[in-house]
Amino acid sequence: MLKLIREVLKVGQATLPYPFAPVELAPGFRGKPEYDPQQCIACAVCTIACPPNALTMHTDLEQGVRTWSLFYGRCIFCARCEEVCPTGAIRLGHDFELASFSREDLTVRAEFRLAACNLCGAYFASAKELEHVLALLDQAGLPPEDAADRKALLRACPECRRKTDLPRVKPLIQEAFNGRV
Amino acid sequence: MAEYDIKTDSAYAIRPDEAVDRLKGALLKDIQRSCYVYRVDCGGCNGCEIEIFAAITPIFDAERFGIKVVSSPRHADVLVYTGAVTRSMRVPALRAYHAAPEPKVCVAYGACGCSGGIFHDLYCVWGGADKILPIDLYIPGCPPTPPATIHGFAVALGLLNQKMKASYHLQQDDEHPQLLHPQLPLDLRIQVERAARRMAGYWHGRRIADVFLAMIKNGDPLKLSSTLQEYLAAQGDPRLSEIMHRLEEVYLAWLADH
Amino acid sequence: MLLTEEKPKIGQKYVDALRQQFGWSILEEAWQAPDQVTVTVELNSLPSVVETLYYQHGGWLSVVAGNDERPINGHFALYYVLSVEGNEQTPQHEREKCYLVVRSLIPPRQMEFPAVTPRVPAAIWYEREVRDMFGLQPIGLPDERRLVLPDDWPEGLYPLRKDSMDYRYRPEPTTEDETYEFIDVEGEGIVQVPLGPLHITSDEPGHFRLYVDGEYIVDADYRLFYVHRGMEKLAETRMTYDQVTFLADRICGICGYAHNVAYSTSIERALGIAVPERAQYIRTILLEVERLHSHLLNLGLACHFVGFDTGFMQFFRVREKAMKMAELLTGTRKTYGMNLIGGVRRDILKEERVQTLQWIQELRREVNELVAMLLDTPNIVQRTQDIGRLEPKVARDYSPVGPTLRGSGFARDIRVIHPYCAYDRVPWTLTYKDGCDVLARTLIRADEFFESLSVVERCLDTMPEGPVLTEGFRYKPYAYALGYVEAPRGEDIHWSMLGDNQKLYRWRCRASSYNNWPPLRYMLRGNTISDAPLIVASIDPCYSCTERVTVVDVRKKKAQVVPYKELERYCIEKKDSPIKG
Repeated sequence: MLKLIREVLKVGQATLPYPFAPVELAPGFRGKPEYDPQQCIACAVCTIACPPNALTMHTDLEQGVRTWSLFYGRCIFCARCEEVCPTGAIRLGHDFELASFSREDLTVRAEFRLAACNLCGAYFASAKELEHVLALLDQAGLPPEDAADRKALLRACPECRRKTDLPRVKPLIQEAFNGRV
Repeated sequence: MAEYDIKTDSAYAIRPDEAVDRLKGALLKDIQRSCYVYRVDCGGCNGCEIEIFAAITPIFDAERFGIKVVSSPRHADVLVYTGAVTRSMRVPALRAYHAAPEPKVCVAYGACGCSGGIFHDLYCVWGGADKILPIDLYIPGCPPTPPATIHGFAVALGLLNQKMKASYHLQQDDEHPQLLHPQLPLDLRIQVERAARRMAGYWHGRRIADVFLAMIKNGDPLKLSSTLQEYLAAQGDPRLSEIMHRLEEVYLAWLADH
Repeated sequence: MLLTEEKPKIGQKYVDALRQQFGWSILEEAWQAPDQVTVTVELNSLPSVVETLYYQHGGWLSVVAGNDERPINGHFALYYVLSVEGNEQTPQHEREKCYLVVRSLIPPRQMEFPAVTPRVPAAIWYEREVRDMFGLQPIGLPDERRLVLPDDWPEGLYPLRKDSMDYRYRPEPTTEDETYEFIDVEGEGIVQVPLGPLHITSDEPGHFRLYVDGEYIVDADYRLFYVHRGMEKLAETRMTYDQVTFLADRICGICGYAHNVAYSTSIERALGIAVPERAQYIRTILLEVERLHSHLLNLGLACHFVGFDTGFMQFFRVREKAMKMAELLTGTRKTYGMNLIGGVRRDILKEERVQTLQWIQELRREVNELVAMLLDTPNIVQRTQDIGRLEPKVARDYSPVGPTLRGSGFARDIRVIHPYCAYDRVPWTLTYKDGCDVLARTLIRADEFFESLSVVERCLDTMPEGPVLTEGFRYKPYAYALGYVEAPRGEDIHWSMLGDNQKLYRWRCRASSYNNWPPLRYMLRGNTISDAPLIVASIDPCYSCTERVTVVDVRKKKAQVVPYKELERYCIEKKDSPIKG
């Protein structure tokens, strides 16, 4: 018993002062995912990676709009979104004070425009994503004529790309199958 | 993901009437100093339960604020629902709800309690406490840490203000995402970042790759080796040196290719 | 770890022995890893083959997986996973240790199989579960009740059959009542004590019923699986195989990382992925950090149940240091989300290493003092010695795992028998005791705590260089293998089979407590009801309390419901029996 009292006295006050002072968190603490819509290209990689579907994306091909949404109430703070994001638009910060009276206040949404195909006019990809990919082509340092060719190709939807590609690849296919097609 | 017509989603939800709402307002005003909490585990993984435990033990000591975990819903002012509400726990959870005297505050705790979390659309769960009960406060987290728990209770009791706010962003015309390290060739950046992630994981890896890429960008490539030595000597971390030298090899191999 | 022709086939001698004994009943064998072999046997000889392996070759039943393989081969399949470790006549050094999986196919028109439980009692829960989830009838199984599915689940709907339902389908509840039938204990005047499913101090729901004669427990029955969420189905549907690591974390809030490693290694074995050495050390470190906070929790609860609440608070104060350690190394207090298939997601750099080593020193000193204090408390020995005895015979029959088994004199730890991660490269000592009682199990946890501290230290000191993650492996359709980890409560084992769509075809995960619950009945018998909470806590189940206990008095023929709080108080104070009068 005496030992116990001695131990208690030795330890003194163990309780942390929080919430009257901030708590000390490890540098790598995984808190609230902080989202930067400026940097987001609506590519959907995070929504595919997110294990609990806290991140979701809805694409409206009629209206040409894609809505990205994050529901903190479902987030498991695994940081897969941060790990896979190609532009660093989402990072886990140190904030953990998420308590909220409504589900709505736990939701972050962002609405992005879709790009229309330069051949058929159908919406097919996020405009910012397309812009980003074109910028990456420049960063990759392709020769200008190659880059122009590829850029033109990328502005078309997959369906039109397939159609325009067909005449070009047909001889290759015929060659591969010894003219049997 | 295709929307699936989930039958009975909130068909079982209890809806409170106005009188109860009024009483609840009065309760929140009156019990600021002390409240009794009863935990209802509706099929959680235990993570939340243990963190609530941690919140009431010496280091965090929620009892400082008069928040006390009690052993019967009949004593409780606050019911804390954890877990995604499994089918087996629906009836017991409702029994606990009815056993607690009005007015009471219901808290959905943790990702599962708030929305079903990672289990949100499974056959054997109802997907969160608010599918069967009126919920007053959501405390997200997987699990919420003890400070997050204390903060949540403080918000529930009106001692602290809610920090979260819904946000809606509409794409503007002047929105252009920044390229990462635009001055460097794309394939070099990607090779370095990948090597860094393989060596140190996504979190350390990104920081280390950023430092290294900044060195390439800002310095004379011929002097990279000595700049790196200096930096690593100052850090004094053998593992960091190993990772950085690995990145240097990647860079040299890239240079040789170009 | 890629299996090639030259790799050794550990377990060949057991397969040969089976062939000799059962001849044509043994249909085929295939090795998934050097020490993992799956033997397909003819259905009618399934019970005899499992029994032979269990009792003649030193087998322990690890898990049973049912599988709907109709889309692959037109049959249902059963996989009885045994850890075969050699019989007692074989000299210690000659005992080959391997996982031997007995597989049998069931034609869909038959839908039944001979139950193994009458021969090997350890199979009881598994066979009930197979019946719930697949509708396969174990013929000869005495217990006809549901195990996993809730009472309000419709008859004849089997969630894990591939053609039964969408994973999101939520049928209307068939009942608003709880219809589970507890066992009838024959005898004069037995009192029932129901406990649960809601409870006060901690953890998961479960419902207990104790049958007592006066103060003494005659028998016990329990209804668990209140938390059945359907995650095995989830892993086969919504998630891709590399997302399941994050789901595996959430099987258990205390030993989640152990499940995560068990799952990851099962996939890595199936795909033949060589995990980098450094990642294996980091996994070992994190597994031990998890053991630190888990054992401190249990030691704290041991204090609580013998009425030493100051000790409980002190253990929880110290435990926070282990939690900080987890937060530093992983970014969360729960060691969650640290694995990917092929490695780990975070390295350990200098700052983390130095800080962790410092906290280990502090923990060692502080916990040493607390354990000494706990053992000095006069009533600890008196309350725990010879209480809740798990007889070695019962232990052998039911394959319990972890400290529960090691407290009954078996030196059985997966880290030794089937080493994984870095356990065969860092030196450490195994603890086991033959007290068979609550005291033995508590002392083992205390010893293991200090051993874990040393393992973390040694791993940090000898961590190899190199990457922590490997990429660029190929997904192989329908490959399957086992993954296993000695979690704080014992062996966690996962049997995973890949599909052909970047998902799992079947995932069977078995938590350690699953094997520890069935023998609990025998541990409770003959003890006073005031010791029941203490005994339940001593297997460190994924919970330690339930709301209330139905006490059934055998002599007075009177059933009485005692609030659990009252029982817990009685356990702590040992006076004013709640069932007197």
